[in-house]
Order: sequence, then C-alpha cells, then structure tokens
Amino acid sequence: MASHLSDRTMTDLLEGEGTPEQRAHLASCAACRSRLDNARAALEAASKVDVPEPPGLYWEALRRNVRRRIAEEPERRTRWGWLAPLAAAAAVVVIVALSVGERPPTPAGVAPTLPAWSALPPVEEDDNLAVVNGFAEEEALVADWEEGRGLAAFVAALSDQESEALTMALRVEQQEGEL
Amino acid sequence: MTGKKDEEGKMDAPTSTPALPAVLAADEAPAETGPSPREAERAAIEACKRGEREAFDQLVVRYQREIYRLCYRYVNNHEDANDLAQEVFLRAWRAIGRFRGQSAFSTWLYRIGINACLNFRAARRPPAQELPETIPDPGVGAAERVERAEQARRLREAVGRLPEKQRATLILKIYHDLTHKEVAQVLGSTVGTVKANLFHGLGNLRKLMAEEGE
Repeated sequence: MASHLSDRTMTDLLEGEGTPEQRAHLASCAACRSRLDNARAALEAASKVDVPEPPGLYWEALRRNVRRRIAEEPERRTRWGWLAPLAAAAAVVVIVALSVGERPPTPAGVAPTLPAWSALPPVEEDDNLAVVNGFAEEEALVADWEEGRGLAAFVAALSDQESEALTMALRVEQQEGEL
Repeated sequence: MTGKKDEEGKMDAPTSTPALPAVLAADEAPAETGPSPREAERAAIEACKRGEREAFDQLVVRYQREIYRLCYRYVNNHEDANDLAQEVFLRAWRAIGRFRGQSAFSTWLYRIGINACLNFRAARRPPAQELPETIPDPGVGAAERVERAEQARRLREAVGRLPEKQRATLILKIYHDLTHKEVAQVLGSTVGTVKANLFHGLGNLRKLMAEEGE
C-alpha cells in the first residue's frame, strides 16, 4: 500500500479493528506505526485522568437547586394548553359583553352606571355567543343558550342583592314607561 | 475508551441508551417486579412532558453524575461545572416537550450539555478555584499524589486546548464511553468524521503533552 493510513483507519486499528491489509501496512510503515503509538500513548494518559469527585452531599444539593430552578419556571402547557388563556380571554369578552352590552346612549361626560344585569343581550343578537360555544365545557350550557334559556339561567344565578337591584331598576324603567 | 466498537444498528433503535457507568447501572438495577430502568425513564419523560416536575428528578438522579463530569471536563473547576450542570438540566426541562425519542435520551442530554459547555466557553468566564483531587490512593505517598494531581491538571488543560470538535469527541468517547455513532449523533456529525477527529485529537493531545513535558 503506497499511501499512509487515514485517521479513520488509524482509529479502527487503535481499537483493535482494521483489515489484514491495513495491519500489514502498519507492520511495514514506521511512520504510521509511530502515529499509532503516539495516539495510543495519549489515549492511555488521558484515560487515567479522572474528574475530582465532589463532596458526598453535593448531588443532593445539585438536585435541590435544579428542583428550585424548575419550580421557578412557568408551568408547562400541554398540547391543548394554549386554549386555556384563549378561553379565559373569551370568558372575559363575554363577561364584558354581558356587563356592557347594548344600552341607551350615555350622555357625554357621564360614566356608564348601568348594572350588569342590563347588559344581557338577546341570544340571537349576542355575537360573542359563538365564541363562547367554542369553549363551553358543558354541552348543557350551550343548549341553554341555543334554546334561549340563557337569560333565565343568568337571572337565576344572581345574588339576592343583584336581584333586588334588578327589581328596583325594572320598576323605575316601568314607571318611566320605557318598557 | 474501552475499545468498544460501533455496533451498527445499535443507535437505530429509537430509545437505545449508551452504557451507563457501572455505579449508576447498579443503582438503577430493576426491582424484581418493577419496571426496567429504560421503562422507568420513558415514563418519567412522558410525565415531564405533561408538566410533572417531580418526574424530572428521576432523570436528574440518573444523569447528574455524567452531566457534571462532562461539564467539569470543559471548565476544569467545580463551581463552573456545578453551574453548568444545573443549566443543562434546566435547558433539558424547558425542551423536553420537543424530545421525540428519535435518539436516546442520554444522547439528547449530552447534546444539550455540549452546547451549554460551548456557550460557556464562548463567554470565556475566568476559571474559578479548582477542587483538589479527592481520590487518594493509600498506596501512594503524598509527593507522588501531588505529582499525579499536577499531571492530571496539565492533561486536562491540554484537552482544553484542542479544537472544539476534537475535544468534544475525545471527552464523549474516552470519558463517557459513547460509541462512534452516538458521538456522531451528539455532535451532528458522521461516524467517519468522529473517527478522524478522535485520532487527530489524540495526535494533537500527544503534541501538547510533549510541549508541556508531560
């Protein structure tokens, strides 16, 4: 073999591999033999050098620090986890829509003070309902809205104080002939 | 390096794992009726993907020593190796959702480790104080221990002066006993290149050792 052995082949020979032809070349080529001997010496020396063993309690400290740093990380989201903030945002939109909704125009400079109950739009006019439907966890809730029971369900969920406010407002509006 | 050659096809298996050091393998020996270490590792990985932080602890226990030692080989001191090891596990936690099992978890972790070490080197932080050698041989006198420690320090420094790919190849091959194919996976290289880098690296190491009078 005229040319010297490649580095790849030398690694094979270093590890006890190599073809008979390669070994024959090695036996007859002082330059290649010298390179292999040098690599073997370096490997032997390097193999003896170990990493100093840290103190015995170190590993627990390492794990504790890793645990602490991971605990500081934001919670991992699962495949559909991205829906959670979206659903929350949609819920906020719905709540805002429910609490603002369609109402008589407010005179300029006067802060809107309508109670939340007045914001509930009719089902057929509630554009946000489609969004809510997409994230509704309970089919029954969706069915309520589709069947027009959303207002009833909303009123039923009011607290005593809210019900009282609703009643008073309805009376005022009735007296003013707006109903 | 133990002379272990590449077993073609070994790393083709999606979850093949490099041989663990004996001490770890013994620690992780399966109970009579429990899941095998590999099954337990797979389960822990899936749990981590679901966001179960406690499950990650199992992976840290299993690989802490190897990752620490890998980092130490790069920075040659305990303090930085400790920081880097934590960083490696933190990066692994952040990225574990993207781990698809196309290579062994250990290979994936080594890759994160090498990247973290290279980033660290790029930042070129000044070296911190080194741990003393703590493997006293009762049959060796104090003077000889000091001499051995000095030799070890010089050799680690010589390894540190090798070009990055040669250095990484030597560290993974000699000290972590990865196969050529596993090293190639970690470094995004080929088996042929790994073999060439290994031999070239050993040649350069020999020259550096000669320069420093061994």
